[in-house]
Amino acid sequence: MNVDDILLRAVDIEKSFSGVKVLKKVGLDIRRGEVHAVMGENGAGKSTLIKVLTGVYPRDEGKIFFNGASVTINSRQDAKDLGIAVIYQELSLIPTLTVAQNILLGQEICRAGILDNGAMKLAIRKLIETYGFSLNPDAIVETLSIAQRQTVEILKALSMQSSLIIMDEPTASLSVKESENLFQTIGALKKRGVSILYISHRLEEVYRLADRLTILRDGERIAVLSQGEINPRDVIRLMIGKELRQSEHAGRMRPSRPEVVLRVRNLSRRGVFSDISFDLHRGEVLGIGGLVGSGRSEILHCLFGSDRPDSGDILFEGKPIRGTVSRNIRSGFGLVPEDRRTQGFIPLLSMKRNIVLTNYDHLVGRRLFISGKSELAMCRDAIQRLDIRPANSEIHAGNLSGGNQQKVVVGKWLMRDLKMLLIDEPTAGIDVGVKEDIYALIGELAEKGVAVILVSSDLPELLRISHRILVMRKGRIFREFSEGSVSQEDVLKAASGIQDREIESNE
Amino acid sequence: MRQETIRRLFSLLLLSILIVAFGATSKLFLTLPNIFTLLREASVTGILAVGVTFVIITAGIDLSTGAIVAFVAMVCANIFYYTTLPVWVALAAGLLIGAGAGYLNGLLVTRLHLPDFIATLSTQGIFRGLALIIAIRSSTGSISNKVITNQGFLLLGDRVSVVYLVTIAFFVVALLGQGILKMTPLGTHTYAIGSSRKSADLSGINSDRVKKVAFTISGICSAVGALFLTARMQTAIPELGTGLEFDVIAAVVIGGCAFSGGRGDVFGSVVGALFMAILTNGIYKYNLPAAFHIIIKGCVIIIMVIFDSVYHRRMDDRIRKAGKMLDQAAAAAEAAGGGAGGIS
Repeated sequence: MNVDDILLRAVDIEKSFSGVKVLKKVGLDIRRGEVHAVMGENGAGKSTLIKVLTGVYPRDEGKIFFNGASVTINSRQDAKDLGIAVIYQELSLIPTLTVAQNILLGQEICRAGILDNGAMKLAIRKLIETYGFSLNPDAIVETLSIAQRQTVEILKALSMQSSLIIMDEPTASLSVKESENLFQTIGALKKRGVSILYISHRLEEVYRLADRLTILRDGERIAVLSQGEINPRDVIRLMIGKELRQSEHAGRMRPSRPEVVLRVRNLSRRGVFSDISFDLHRGEVLGIGGLVGSGRSEILHCLFGSDRPDSGDILFEGKPIRGTVSRNIRSGFGLVPEDRRTQGFIPLLSMKRNIVLTNYDHLVGRRLFISGKSELAMCRDAIQRLDIRPANSEIHAGNLSGGNQQKVVVGKWLMRDLKMLLIDEPTAGIDVGVKEDIYALIGELAEKGVAVILVSSDLPELLRISHRILVMRKGRIFREFSEGSVSQEDVLKAASGIQDREIESNE
Repeated sequence: MRQETIRRLFSLLLLSILIVAFGATSKLFLTLPNIFTLLREASVTGILAVGVTFVIITAGIDLSTGAIVAFVAMVCANIFYYTTLPVWVALAAGLLIGAGAGYLNGLLVTRLHLPDFIATLSTQGIFRGLALIIAIRSSTGSISNKVITNQGFLLLGDRVSVVYLVTIAFFVVALLGQGILKMTPLGTHTYAIGSSRKSADLSGINSDRVKKVAFTISGICSAVGALFLTARMQTAIPELGTGLEFDVIAAVVIGGCAFSGGRGDVFGSVVGALFMAILTNGIYKYNLPAAFHIIIKGCVIIIMVIFDSVYHRRMDDRIRKAGKMLDQAAAAAEAAGGGAGGIS
């Protein structure tokens, strides 16, 4: 390998968060004008690596060389000065300004203190033409599609003479056609010698775009593959690690009881998911797997009534549900949302108030006032059943640990006659002990006949507690696993869009 | 069509409805003297509105403008009563105090991180209190409103042929304001921090500086308004400009600035100020109770704000349908990645 070809080289990067090593002696080298992909499961350390490279997190150990020189990157500005740009989805654009104003924001061209609009437009037009984009410099950003905004972000990076552009899941919110345009853009950048660090969960994209691929697992660099060596089977195997293919890590699907609680038919929400149909049975845990952004959480919100589908039917116990969240709660729905802090509980209210919040209908009854005693009794009940610590009903929910916060969120639904629980990434950011408690709880609920829909990106979790698994891909149900043994590999393949009949032979 | 464009057409439409309605039903309304009176009535509110436009575009609010008017007026009255200093000293002192008062608002908001509403509500009290303290008192201690006799200063309240000086000042200030907004980097940055503070910071813009400048401009505009108002009244009273800040904010909002920031411009605020003046003027012409004026004003503001939210909902809908909900996906990736990272 020619040393001059290396644009960025990171050596032995280490990073820990509160004693947990997230990056272990990770190395990365990116050549000039190459598309370098990084893949790994959730928690493999991809995001942390990017944040170290762009100065968001300081690194604990290791060295970074840029253009052959050792550099220190302590802030976003440092990274920017070197010519490292990150495409932050729409975050770093100003919606009410024009394309040209956005690209040159903070580096406007002036003559005697007055904006030189002619010169600015000329510069932007030149930039746009160089890369062959179709974009009007005078268009207002808020009127553009997400894909066009991304192009503006890329142009902004280019206007700052960036030689390395980091793209983190750039196609997560693009349609197929828009993704295609992005790939062409990436091709044009490559031709001009710009390097791209491409983070994606989508195998087929990496397969198509990447010159080389670095695979991370549990904070370590497992492999660097060059274009010819990238094939789906090996990549998945390297990402999961061999030991996980053993049978104890596979989930055994269970037959469901005949009684249908929820029937969903052709549910669609434009641009988010389409044509979703499934049945949910009494006492069943239905797992929904798939990549982040494949429309899973949005389905839960539609079922719960906090979002509206554009078309399709939802039947609960044979009757169509139409309606508001409060009516659904009264019929026995519960939701444990993914974003716990902003949707799951109210941080500034006490644990007690959080638990009784959804249950005032039971507590108040026909009386006018709430009895403090019954509130406290309910809270005590929840604390005992869920083993919430500390067992102090007056503590602000926001001051509890993540795991205990989640117990509070689950707890408020347990205090009523629950028939269906929708639960979204229940153990994200939760320590192992509480995780087990939550799994046990879900099992217990199912045992009692509650129908559970579980959305999870944590594959071992999904496989372990689901009775049946649906895998979503780009807003559609791509595969259903309803019998036999299912491995992580099977789910990952389905989530990446690989139809593989081979699984039957594993059984 | 862009929100700004629709809003502009909408406020111009309301303005013309008002003009046509009053013009068609009153012989006095569309006469030259009445038009110039009307412009004079719009001018002080308008001058203040130019400054407040800057603050509202940064997604802020300025409640202290009316109190700054009183304070500046009182300082001038003191200078003329106790000294024989030339006129320009009084004018310079007034403008400096206005700028200082605005800068103080900016400091409270950026250094002490007070919300704009609280910061300027507090300084409103402080400035008006200061005006009361320095008010000229008789030997018994009661406030006596001395008449200002400095002929040079009183020229500000005068007119050139039929046009009042204050109206000319209004248009000059408005042109300057629009120029700063649309033709300088500062203007672009004002929109940027109001529309998306975080993105502006990521682009290397010093948001605190822009915010301070916006408040200072608002303070200076209040001072300019105060000078003309004092000259016309030929005296200063501590209650001068009480409630004026609400007329000013109403004018700015009617003119198309969104409270959420990042939208609107000075031209719109000029239209808003004219609208308010015409409304008042017309209602007096009809001898309707003053209550009508404030009720209509309230209704118009509600309509404008409803318009903004409807527009935003439609825009969000369009974008949602064009692609996917990006924020959610990004947040989900963050939560899932961070969470799993903690336990691996």
